[in-house]
Amino acid sequence: MTEVLVAARDLGLSYGRRSVLGPLDLEIAAGESVAIVGPNGAGKTTFLKLLCGVLQASSGRLEWRGMDFRQLGRRDLARRVAYVPQVRPASVPLTIRQVVLLGRHPHFEALQLAPRPSDHRAVSRAIERAGLAGLENRNLDRLSGGERQAVFIAAALAQESELLVLDEPTTHLDPAHRLRVASLIERLRSSPRSDTEAPGHTLVLASHDLDLAAHVADRVIALKAGRVLATGTPKEVLSPELLTEVFEAPFKVSRAGTRARAMLDFEAGWGEP
Amino acid sequence: MSRAEGRSRATLAALAVVWLAVLCIGPAIGSQDVSLTDLFSEDSATRTIIWRLRMPRVLLGLLAGGALAIGGVAFQTLFRNPLAEPYTLGLASGAALGAVVVQHLELAGSAAGFPLVSVASFAGAVLVGLLILGLARGRGGIETSTLLLAGIAVSLSCSAFILFIQYLADFTRTFRMVRWMMGGLAVVGYREVVWVGLWTAAGFTALFLLRRDLDQLLTGEELASSRGVDLDRLRLLVLAAVSGMVGALVAVAGPIGFVGLVVPHILRRWIGHHHLALLPASLLGGGAFLALCDLAARRVLAPMELPVGILTALLGGPFFLWLLLSRRRRRG
Repeated sequence: MTEVLVAARDLGLSYGRRSVLGPLDLEIAAGESVAIVGPNGAGKTTFLKLLCGVLQASSGRLEWRGMDFRQLGRRDLARRVAYVPQVRPASVPLTIRQVVLLGRHPHFEALQLAPRPSDHRAVSRAIERAGLAGLENRNLDRLSGGERQAVFIAAALAQESELLVLDEPTTHLDPAHRLRVASLIERLRSSPRSDTEAPGHTLVLASHDLDLAAHVADRVIALKAGRVLATGTPKEVLSPELLTEVFEAPFKVSRAGTRARAMLDFEAGWGEP
Repeated sequence: MSRAEGRSRATLAALAVVWLAVLCIGPAIGSQDVSLTDLFSEDSATRTIIWRLRMPRVLLGLLAGGALAIGGVAFQTLFRNPLAEPYTLGLASGAALGAVVVQHLELAGSAAGFPLVSVASFAGAVLVGLLILGLARGRGGIETSTLLLAGIAVSLSCSAFILFIQYLADFTRTFRMVRWMMGGLAVVGYREVVWVGLWTAAGFTALFLLRRDLDQLLTGEELASSRGVDLDRLRLLVLAAVSGMVGALVAVAGPIGFVGLVVPHILRRWIGHHHLALLPASLLGGGAFLALCDLAARRVLAPMELPVGILTALLGGPFFLWLLLSRRRRRG
């Protein structure tokens, strides 16, 4: 029996009377890799923001190893959960190393003027794991989209958190960079995340990239209108019937070995309702 | 130590030297020249000029310029907008409105040893700070974009009120108001220096303690929040620190524009955006810049004195055009 790392209990978020998420009940095991799929507006990003403390739940709660998130301070939470958001600032006047060092924020002490050797070690390891070794002093504004994505993943790695939350990590990337980011994410699961701790990260990612979901996830959760519509292995969830129900568009699924590959069925077209 | 760090340290050291140089040489410069050795001269008239008239003025320039520059740094980072400064957000307009109202009603008197005009302008800046904070506070906390727009709207309203009052006022009063709004460091004593100094010290301490949170804003609010930065608290504290500083110095010196824009811009380009170095560098650089401008303002039309606010605005306008054009050129 694997340990439950994060659990959502009756979790919900609403603005006034408009509910954007939930009520949601789900569990994420330590070491697991979970992909969340669903149409635009299904609540994927909202759920991720609740996980990393950017948003606060309006009903129900999130638990970290059985402890209510509200009992954790902001910094405590940030040492446990790192976030790679979908929207990244257009212009960042910093070098790669400086951006990655920003990820150490929850580990800094109030009266500490400069980063400690442990901070520099964490930053160097994060840069190496993200495949950016040798580029440290490059300015972020000079990088391609895929490299920038790798930098923000490296910043999250420098946070040395157990849970890594990624929102649309491969969207807007060309095929080569998409592949690069996908294999980077896959490596994160197995490579140790700090000096002292052995296991890799627990991953939660939201994506429209169903290939990525099938490739890196142990489990896929399909969200629709703020609720869980289906949950299971990629093979179970990525079925034509389920996907059609989730996205309200026709899908074809081909199976190669153990992997399922879902494709939008362009031949069927977008029929009149 | 990396190259960037070395550059920051060298710049800080150079600015500290310039700051001290202005402090030492500044009082010797004016419409009547006195030499450094006169500082301790037996001649009481010279001593009065140096210690009673010029020294407080130089000190006020050093403090007020620093306060304006670090206020600009904090606001530009908070709003992620290179044009944000204490004045864009209406703090100075609020202060000016307070002063103009008191001048129009010809209210005399003082509070805690300060003339009512100063008290009113300080209250004006703090009230505007509270007002835009209240306007921007939505369901999900304080929104930065709303805060910026609310500040601009309040600033324009205050300016309209000022014009309205000036229209109603008679010629002498209008002249006094206009003269006050040009901003200047003339006629100050040590009481004002201590007053501005205390607020600047408090503001700088607060912002310096928040430097890491401000650094986090360089990659956006969402990432900052996910790393444990309490954005609402940060916005509140920055606004409070800057309102207090700006309110205090506008009360004494009137509105002085562009220092909060020009100095941070140059320093950001030179030593980068980390607030650990940027805040102290701006405190020193802004102070030296304003004090030097004031020295120049006393010399260019000698024996007449130009209000330093006019000089900084005259320098600031072209500087911004240059900035705009060089940016456009870089984008190709």
